[in-house]
Amino acid sequence: MRGLINASIRFAKTFPREFWGRLSVPERVAFLLVPLAMGAAIVTVIAIFWLGGPVVDFLGANLPLVRFAVAGTAILLLTVPTAFVLIYLELKVIARMNLRVGPNRVGPWGAAMSVIHGLKVLTKEDFAPTGADITIFTLAPVVTYMASVMTLLVIPFAPGLIGQDLNVGLLYFFAMGGLTVVGLLMAGWSSFNKYSLLGGLRSAAQIISYEIPLTLSVVGVILLAGTMSMNRIVLAQSGSAFDWFVFKQPLAWIIFFIAATAEANRTPFDMTEADSEIVAGFATEYSGMRFGFFFFAEYVNVFIVSALAATLFFGGWTAPFNWPWTYNLNWFHPLEMGFGPWLAIVAFVLVVAPQILGILVMLFGRGWTYVQASVLGALFTLVAVVGLVALAGFIAFDWVQGLFWFMFKTYVFVVTFVWMRATLPRVRVDQLMGFAWKWLLPASLVNLFVTATAVVLLNR
Amino acid sequence: MPPRQPASRPSKSRAGKRAPEPPQQYASTDDPRVMLDRQIGALFEPIPPYPTQTEREGEFYTLRDGEMFLNVGPHHPSTHGVLRLVVKLSGEQVVDVDPVLGYLHRGVEKICENSDYYHVIDQVDPLEYVSALFQEWPAVLSFEKLMDVQVPRRAEYIRVLTGELLRISSHILYVGFYALDLGGLTPILYSFIERDEIVEMLAALTGARMLFNYFRIGGVNGDLNHEFMSRLGDWMSRAAKEVESSATLLNENEIFVRRTRDVGVLDRAAALRYGVTGGNLRASGVPFDVRRAHPYSVYPELDFNIPTRDEGDSLARYLIRIDEIRESIKIIDQCLHNMPDGPVMASLPRLIRPRPGRAWAAVEGPRGMLGVYTISDGSDQPFRFRIHDPSLLNLETLPALATGHLLADTMTIIASLDPVMGGIDK
Amino acid sequence: MDRTLKTRLEARVGSYLRSPIYQRHDETEIRIAPADVPEVLRTLHDVVDLRFEILADLCGVDTGEVMQVVYHLWSPMTSDWLRIVADGISRDDPRAPSATFLWIGAEWLEREAYDMYGIVFEGNRDLRRIFMPPDYTSFPLRKDFLLPDDAARSPGAGVRHVERTHVSADPAEGPEAGIRRAPVS
Repeated sequence: MRGLINASIRFAKTFPREFWGRLSVPERVAFLLVPLAMGAAIVTVIAIFWLGGPVVDFLGANLPLVRFAVAGTAILLLTVPTAFVLIYLELKVIARMNLRVGPNRVGPWGAAMSVIHGLKVLTKEDFAPTGADITIFTLAPVVTYMASVMTLLVIPFAPGLIGQDLNVGLLYFFAMGGLTVVGLLMAGWSSFNKYSLLGGLRSAAQIISYEIPLTLSVVGVILLAGTMSMNRIVLAQSGSAFDWFVFKQPLAWIIFFIAATAEANRTPFDMTEADSEIVAGFATEYSGMRFGFFFFAEYVNVFIVSALAATLFFGGWTAPFNWPWTYNLNWFHPLEMGFGPWLAIVAFVLVVAPQILGILVMLFGRGWTYVQASVLGALFTLVAVVGLVALAGFIAFDWVQGLFWFMFKTYVFVVTFVWMRATLPRVRVDQLMGFAWKWLLPASLVNLFVTATAVVLLNR
Repeated sequence: MPPRQPASRPSKSRAGKRAPEPPQQYASTDDPRVMLDRQIGALFEPIPPYPTQTEREGEFYTLRDGEMFLNVGPHHPSTHGVLRLVVKLSGEQVVDVDPVLGYLHRGVEKICENSDYYHVIDQVDPLEYVSALFQEWPAVLSFEKLMDVQVPRRAEYIRVLTGELLRISSHILYVGFYALDLGGLTPILYSFIERDEIVEMLAALTGARMLFNYFRIGGVNGDLNHEFMSRLGDWMSRAAKEVESSATLLNENEIFVRRTRDVGVLDRAAALRYGVTGGNLRASGVPFDVRRAHPYSVYPELDFNIPTRDEGDSLARYLIRIDEIRESIKIIDQCLHNMPDGPVMASLPRLIRPRPGRAWAAVEGPRGMLGVYTISDGSDQPFRFRIHDPSLLNLETLPALATGHLLADTMTIIASLDPVMGGIDK
Repeated sequence: MDRTLKTRLEARVGSYLRSPIYQRHDETEIRIAPADVPEVLRTLHDVVDLRFEILADLCGVDTGEVMQVVYHLWSPMTSDWLRIVADGISRDDPRAPSATFLWIGAEWLEREAYDMYGIVFEGNRDLRRIFMPPDYTSFPLRKDFLLPDDAARSPGAGVRHVERTHVSADPAEGPEAGIRRAPVS
């Protein structure tokens, strides 16, 4: 008996180390996660059954809250693919302008490059420099990122697709956009590095200087539209392309574009991250996911200023010419088609079309094997199906149309920003400031006075 | 029950393990100048305060109110190599600059004292690696003076031809790096396309793309071959237009011009006092070009101009290089038309043993006057082999030029002076 | 080879010359004492028919017996390079006057000569090491520089032995046995 007890005590003492030591890392992760996941599943199921009813009733009574939660989540999730697309666009477009090819190994035409960047950024060592203020150091990228992301709440992507249609939407936008300064200053100060300090101070000076011409140039648009709500500004430009505010406020458009480039810290105004002088500016000491946040925040910033440019001056989600038709697809009743036609369609899409396209690839391509050709055929079929669905959505739903036009305009400006980055050298700090205060600010004031006078006179 | 196997396999986890200690291989030192970042958590200054040795050091390392040091360290994207600048800043304005050299010091002069005369040519290539033939040239010239060797005319023409090609390549790269330091990402790639063509040409001729080892005492190593001539012909037919288009990418760029005009003005008297040579001197108004001032090789027979400008600012230094590219294309044209036939190498004994004596020779490289002073003691190794590199004196003007401008202008000035750290640090 | 330069030099700085002016190919060489360097350089720089305004090079030389500082100058008035050899600097306490009063660019060249040979240039405001680390304790280009005995005790020094060149392994010969010496001609 005693021997048994001793043996079991010895077993209890040595078993953990022996057992644990023999597991590889994935095995250890699984050993810990599987029971946790099962426990969490059981708890969730119990919670659903027990609390489900009251929760659903509560949500049903507070639909705006649900809407806000869904919109907020969607926007947060939207930023990541947006940043990925923008990073890829930047790499490829700048490469082509540099007479290079850009990434073309990871994924078709290098499209998975952004994903690889994201994963790489997650695998880096997470450290802070000695002497850095850890709290602020960690919070700085969060502040910058969230400030950029919160502005997406008021951007009208399509009729009915807006996070929250505040009637001071534009003011909210600029308020949130200005918060990025706080993040950059926090980064610059807390890094305990003179390069970061210089970068942070430069960025603070630059963003604050350029906010004033930015907001003043937009006040003209507010006067013309009569409202600060973004949705109604877009609606005020509906009609044809000649109703867009860019034709009514050309000076404001130029000022806005220049100031927006400076706000987004893009070349030629990228003094803050001038990597030939102050290595990486405020982000010198950042690595890993913290740097990833700054990186993402920069690209989200580019997206939001392009989106703002498209919304305020180019009509947002309105089409450039009167798009009168939303064809009614009500004659298409998918649920009432029956089993036979559905089987035919599925079989066609899954089997017949890829094979036909594969055969075409083998005929017209050079040296494709059967397997490769089938895969290509499946890919083309997928693209065709997605295209058809998109086309159907475009024809049928006005929000799909609006989304398409909005994204198209936004990406035109995004590509313009990338184009400027590839082409132009950097402006020096004092020239930058001088330009903002001596040229842009008076110009925007002049524009404001002229617009206000015109509005008053025309309304009389 | 079978006996339990002990855990013989080492645990794969790093939990609880610390990083291995670095091997104790360094002798301890009590010198405070070398105690760099041993004190973790203390405020890190680039140079810890220690009793300064010289007047200028004392002057530099005393901070007044509101000034700070910024260590533009050896690892930096735009210091043209491993150059360390300790910049004394007052806000964004540069008060003083102290360049710290020696990060690329390879002891080439000492190595050459222990090498054969042939080996010296090989050793001396990687000094200004961007334009390697221009280091071989004065070395070879000085050895030829020691040995009283007459170089065949065809070899001289080939030397001039390859030299001017390399000068064009170096200047094009200068334009690219200049733009890169100012923030333009595109011209550097265009420059590398041009340089790649030239360097492939020279690889067809010499066998190497960058460190050519082509010149020999008494001539060159190998005659022109068909591939080189065909590539050269292709390139010459497009050269002028391509160079013009690459140059005008920046000449008329408002941002570039405004960032370089009146930045780092080096006036004539200061340029002469600093011993600056090359394009930097000519941009300050002194028309000194070794090819005209003290002609060597077949330059007296060639017709070319010496572009000179008076302003002395960074923009002038840039424009001078562009003019020099055009002149070099003219020279290459003349070389191709006037190329004589004949041998490319004088006949020399296998073992090079010059008589005891001294010789100095200088050529005009892309960055300035490259000089070599050789002392021979009658053996097959040089007794003293001194290389005078122009980039050293060009860089010496940096503290004087950068004072009073902003930090961003420091990079502009360095880029406009075109230093190559390999040559500076030897 | 510029004969007129020889006569002009003998007229202007003849009293300082310690040996006849030597001319070969396109170089003219004069030898002076180190103490006379400032006056000679000043004369060569200022005099209207000499005008040696461009300092081409400044270097140190260790001949094994003595040290020299060698200047190379260029003038638009002549087709020759001028070489000034300031000869006779002792190897134990090498001192020479600085040329920075005339050419401020000589500061770094003299720093290099100091770093490599130990020649102290009096009048140079910034005579510290330029290539070697600031705590280095020997002068690499001297003929009696032997690794690893003289290697600096700095964190950058490795522990690998470097073959001693030019010195025999026979301890009876003394440390100066294999040092190369140049003919002092």
